[in-house]
Amino acid sequence: MEKKILEFANILRKSGIRVSTAETIDSFVALEELSLEDREIFKDALRTTMVKRGEEIATYDHLFDLFWSGFYDNLRESFGQATGGMSEMGIDIEDLLRAIAQMLQTGGAESGDLSELARALLTTDLSQLENLIRMAAEQAGTQRIENFLQVGFFSRRTLEQMGVEGAADQLRQLADRLEQAGMSPEQIQALRNLIDRLLEAVRRSVRAYTERELQKQNHDYMEKFRRETLLEKSFYHLTEDEIRKMREVVERLAQRIKNVLSIRRRRLKRGKLDLHQTLRRNMSHGGIPFELIFKQRKKDRPKLVILTDVSSSVANVSRFMLQFVYTLQEAFTKIRSFVFVAELGEVTPLFQEKDISDAIEAALEGGDTINVYTRSNFGYAFHHFWQNFLSAIDNKTTVLILGDARNNYNDPRAWCLRDIHNKAKNVVWLNPENPSAWGFGDSVMDKYLPYCDVAEECRNLRQLSKIVDSLLL
Amino acid sequence: MSKFESVEQVLEKLSKEHYIADKNIATVVFLADKLEKPVLIEGPAGVGKTELAKVVANATGRRLIRLQCYEGLDEAKALYEWEYSKQLLYTQILKEKFTEKMAGSRSLRDAAEKVGEEDSVFFSHHFIVARPLLNAITAEEPQLLLIDEVDKSDPEFEAFLLEVLSDFQVTVPELGTIQAKQIPLVFLTSNNAREMSDALKRRCLHLYIDYPSQELETRILETKVPSAGVHMIQDVVSMMHRLRQLDLKKTPSISETLDWARALLALNATELDENLVNQTFNVILKYEGDVRKAQAELDKLLQKKAGEAAAKAPGAAATANPAATKKGALH
Repeated sequence: MEKKILEFANILRKSGIRVSTAETIDSFVALEELSLEDREIFKDALRTTMVKRGEEIATYDHLFDLFWSGFYDNLRESFGQATGGMSEMGIDIEDLLRAIAQMLQTGGAESGDLSELARALLTTDLSQLENLIRMAAEQAGTQRIENFLQVGFFSRRTLEQMGVEGAADQLRQLADRLEQAGMSPEQIQALRNLIDRLLEAVRRSVRAYTERELQKQNHDYMEKFRRETLLEKSFYHLTEDEIRKMREVVERLAQRIKNVLSIRRRRLKRGKLDLHQTLRRNMSHGGIPFELIFKQRKKDRPKLVILTDVSSSVANVSRFMLQFVYTLQEAFTKIRSFVFVAELGEVTPLFQEKDISDAIEAALEGGDTINVYTRSNFGYAFHHFWQNFLSAIDNKTTVLILGDARNNYNDPRAWCLRDIHNKAKNVVWLNPENPSAWGFGDSVMDKYLPYCDVAEECRNLRQLSKIVDSLLL
Repeated sequence: MSKFESVEQVLEKLSKEHYIADKNIATVVFLADKLEKPVLIEGPAGVGKTELAKVVANATGRRLIRLQCYEGLDEAKALYEWEYSKQLLYTQILKEKFTEKMAGSRSLRDAAEKVGEEDSVFFSHHFIVARPLLNAITAEEPQLLLIDEVDKSDPEFEAFLLEVLSDFQVTVPELGTIQAKQIPLVFLTSNNAREMSDALKRRCLHLYIDYPSQELETRILETKVPSAGVHMIQDVVSMMHRLRQLDLKKTPSISETLDWARALLALNATELDENLVNQTFNVILKYEGDVRKAQAELDKLLQKKAGEAAAKAPGAAATANPAATKKGALH
């Protein structure tokens, strides 16, 4: 049992659930206290000791069902078919077995050496068979199975480990001996038939076992794989489904940054000794400074002005960047966001009225302020910003620009960006294109580059989170 | 005070305290009691996390000690504090005694030595103010320590909790380590405002309480607001389950269901109709936007109900009741 639980813990780990050794030990102790008859309680006990995150419960449930149930039923089914077929032919297996036992005891036929497997087969001892299959599969290394093509290979190896061929020979020889000892031809015929069926059933069961093992090992492998690659995957090639998934990933990532942030802040907060406060606080102790009060360093939360290109070519990047920034909005004093294609419009109010995801979708549509169905014109947009919103920028403001700087051969008007740069604390440009493409074709990134404090390639989530993270401190 | 004997007994005792739990909750409570391990309870707000701790305290006859966590909670407020003013006061009063004691000393060093000998007088249990954690550990009687909303506390505090939770001991530098006289049952609740550290999680059993299933919620209402009537309860529960499907800012949970049922009862309502629901929406929904969304859904819901009622019209009363009692009989 303990071995099985360890194995189960391993499978949980493989699916990305963290189970420590201490937790496995807890589960052993817990199970000692409970009656194991109630499956539900057993399941809950394992869960409460091993799985400590709400999100992982669904995975756990699935794996539990896969691991702890089914195979025995599976076994019963295939052996039920084998023996059921016999009784349909009018042969009573009980009778047959009794006759065999009698022959062996009194009829002088030698049983010969029957292996464990052969004996288990003959008596259809299913729990013993289950054990034998498990052990053999383990020796065959089935737990290392990785893909469907290996099912045949590992099934064969498991069967070899079990010694199925040997058992088959032994059983056939037994039948021969029984025949010599004078068993009736009908019974011998029935016995041979039974042996064939049992062997077939065990082969099928082993294959089923191997397939289940593959499922177990592979569960969540794909999921994990997908989540990881989502981090790396370029924003340019996302399906609808992936966009939905991506939202969760962004949310999680932002949450993680938030957690780290609170710790970092606290470390930073303690400043010099505050003499005034210390004296005042310690009046009750007769002026003896028992409690020291420190000045708190002023939190320097950045103001943020976001300019996002929402033309179709970079819409996805814009979407996730907006989500990221607004999930973290308490980390900034103030966020003003603008969208542009050629015209530029402010969408800040959208984020005050709606919840984040609705607001983002509305902003990508231009937020009723701009026409998104035109060709990108960065110069025009910057000029517009320069004319109308330059006052939004002061020396505490970080300007975050997102766009590919593909200007459709319009005038880049880089001097607008220069003025913005001069007023702002810093200008960060995120470009979904690879730096080697900057300045080629209709890209005017090279013209803007001198006025950016940071210009980074931002093509996937990992890069995005790194940049946002560095913005905060 | 005795320990629970079986999971069934837990269920029974909890329901005696009017807390309807499912087997999962009962199993965890049982194990916490048996293994003397703390329980970390997570789940959405208002599903009865804190309530569970209170009820278990009642059911086991333990005294409940509650520690409410918040940002900035530190050891001084959670564990113990030295009473500086009392110490100072005593020094003043005992001044004579000191002079007497130091009379024979020739040098400053000698005098300091003598004062030093009396060190322990000033750092003894006499001058310590015990806070919830120390109370829970030093009490003679078995206690239930509820650390509420632990996710609101700072990461440092969480680290400091580890010692208490794993060894049931606390260290006061001046006094040494204080071992628990008895092991308190510890419940921590969290709304997942931030994720707790793995170290903390490892030391706890984990319980996730989700929104209840329809049957369970019906049973909860039947126990808590029995006078609402089977019919009304069915209506309320199915409405709530529909609302939870919507994408709301704050999904209503059991506490809202109970409030609602009580409100409807106070209004002498016997059946849900559009007017009534509209008037009482603010009991269950806490945001203007949510109310608007729910109103749209309400129309759909009531329409469907009207359709069903029309279909059932001939034997409406007769068919509605058996269905309701059957649900109850399932458990």
